[in-house]
Amino acid sequence: MEYAVGIDVGSTQTKAVALDTARAIVARVLIDSGANVVRAGQRAMDEIQKTGISRGDIKFVVGTGYGRYKIEAGDTQVTEISCHARGAHMLYPGTRTVIDMGGQDTKAIKISAEGDVIDFCMNDKCAAGTGRFLAGAADVLGLTLDEIGEISLRGTKPVRLTSVCTVFVESDILSHLAQNKQVEDILAGVHEAIATRTIGLVRRVGTDPEITFTGGVALNIGMVRALEAKLHVTLNASPEAQYCGALGAALYAMDHVMAEKRPSVEVGAELTGWVDE
Amino acid sequence: MTTTQAPTKDYRGRVHTLSRDIMTDWMAQLKEATRTPTPSAYLMISGNCVEILRCFDILPVFPEINALQLAIRKNSLPYILKSEEIGYASDNCAYVKADVGFTLCGGVGENGTIPKPSLIICNFVGCNVYIKWFEHCASMMNVPMVMLDIPFLREATPSKDDIKYVMCQLHELIGACEKLTGKKFDIDRLREILRYSARAERGWARSKELCKNRPAPFDAYFDSINMMGPINALRGTKEAADFFDAAATEYEQMVEDGVGVLKEERFRTVVEGPPPYPYYRNFRNLFERWGAVAVQSTYSTVGGLWEFGFFHDPERPLESIAEQMLVHNLCNRSLIERYKQIRKYVEEWNADALIIHSIKSCRLFSAGQGDMREYFTRELNVPTLMVESDLEDPRYYAEAQMKNRIDAFFESLQYKRLRAGNETGKQATT
Repeated sequence: MEYAVGIDVGSTQTKAVALDTARAIVARVLIDSGANVVRAGQRAMDEIQKTGISRGDIKFVVGTGYGRYKIEAGDTQVTEISCHARGAHMLYPGTRTVIDMGGQDTKAIKISAEGDVIDFCMNDKCAAGTGRFLAGAADVLGLTLDEIGEISLRGTKPVRLTSVCTVFVESDILSHLAQNKQVEDILAGVHEAIATRTIGLVRRVGTDPEITFTGGVALNIGMVRALEAKLHVTLNASPEAQYCGALGAALYAMDHVMAEKRPSVEVGAELTGWVDE
Repeated sequence: MTTTQAPTKDYRGRVHTLSRDIMTDWMAQLKEATRTPTPSAYLMISGNCVEILRCFDILPVFPEINALQLAIRKNSLPYILKSEEIGYASDNCAYVKADVGFTLCGGVGENGTIPKPSLIICNFVGCNVYIKWFEHCASMMNVPMVMLDIPFLREATPSKDDIKYVMCQLHELIGACEKLTGKKFDIDRLREILRYSARAERGWARSKELCKNRPAPFDAYFDSINMMGPINALRGTKEAADFFDAAATEYEQMVEDGVGVLKEERFRTVVEGPPPYPYYRNFRNLFERWGAVAVQSTYSTVGGLWEFGFFHDPERPLESIAEQMLVHNLCNRSLIERYKQIRKYVEEWNADALIIHSIKSCRLFSAGQGDMREYFTRELNVPTLMVESDLEDPRYYAEAQMKNRIDAFFESLQYKRLRAGNETGKQATT
């Protein structure tokens, strides 16, 4: 068997996906990136091989994410913008807009019917309004990231946050706690604040349906609902959302594998001489 | 797609060297003037009237060039911090802060490299921060200041009254120069200086016109920086006129030989906004690695816009100087005129994309770039990338994020081409 692997070394977690030549997902891996990006890439490859895929059968590896140039096994690199677009298009072929929310940035990507990037916008250097902000909010409230989405849905009176600054989130939430605000209302406010900021980005590229939500934050049901409420549409949010970048990278890797399989044709060779049955 | 090798010639070679030589001479004159009683004057780049100073042998000094020279030498941050120490806000124009900090640290004056000016001329009022900059310089150094009120261009062309209004102020400036130097104004000398200006401007226009060729002989954004010094600071001198004749001849030869600025020209871009000077080489590399060449840029026209047929006219000396200050420079043009200029660049120079480098510490020129992006992307269907950092303050530049955006943008252009190629292939075989 021949496989293609995509590795997405993100700011928080590293994801890897292996595809077979039918472009079916045969393995997926999720590990913490940690401080050593090179090591994260190596560990992701090791984990893929533990699923029973031998290194020799992996014919091409594409790296993506912030650590893409540090992935030693990577044969080439593609940005996560292109990869998320490609991954989202595979999961939901009707996708025309992708919202990718990761640990330290949020992207809005407009894509064509073929899954190519037409336009994109990202938050600037500051990580305000990204997954990091949610992590900060969860920390202050003594909750885990997995819990906060569900809890936020129970909020009936979302608080208004002064900003979505990752630095000031702690003092902002503490002031609401001091005013005896309910945790679910605070979390509803947190999700609403991020959704408001994200919508600003999305509108810059347009909100053409279908809209697919990717990245780790897409697993947070509170965030999905908050964005849906602002956009007035139902979002595509797959359980594979977190792997979308790695999936896109694996699809690009499979392009290379298939290109090598294509028989080479010498241009014009088929018309030289005369062929008579 | 054109692929041309430049095996024997370094494209940055001759023109770059010539530019460096004449700019180094000018910097040496500035240094010399710190110790001699040479009259000098501060001017702003935008729509400047340097020719009038030359009439009186007043050495022109451009604080913007001081600032960018500090940045490109990766030495701007200590001066920016010095200005912040005395109360400049962190989001204030970093050009201003670097120059003010440089002055406070003794860079200007007899122990520095830039002469203390005899006169400060605020010739561009489109940016009110710039007015405060020069006012602060005048106050710090106790130097007289002349403020020229140049009406911002509201329409495509200035009114006759606008021109008359500016010409009246030019007469006042001439009076100030006469008083400073004790020399009488000589209109024939001004005409001679303007002849040199016009020759340089024509050479610059010719060079830019050559970038319509594939491959482009130079990068009209990154290499234009080498030509902006001579056109803005040395305009009106024989040296600048000769430089532009030589540059145009060099580029004409490159076009004739089919030699491009890059080994392979894959993408043609138009660039809006100044470069991040503290990371100039890094930023350039991010485009070069994709084979992207700027065939036009708006930044290269901040001092003067010469490629659309306007040149200083020795037969109408003060009138043509007024017209240049009012309309034939990017900074004094309305957003609509800037749109038209970029559109013309994209269409006539056959660009594939528009790149906007937005400046964090310059709200004046960055405001409206979001709309500009939308206009070109949505209404004209021109792929547009907007990235942000700063022209002077290194703290705003994040290499990984910049690279990510630029890579993603060119990836999308590349895939679009590949797909178009595939479709053509299909049509050919069916």
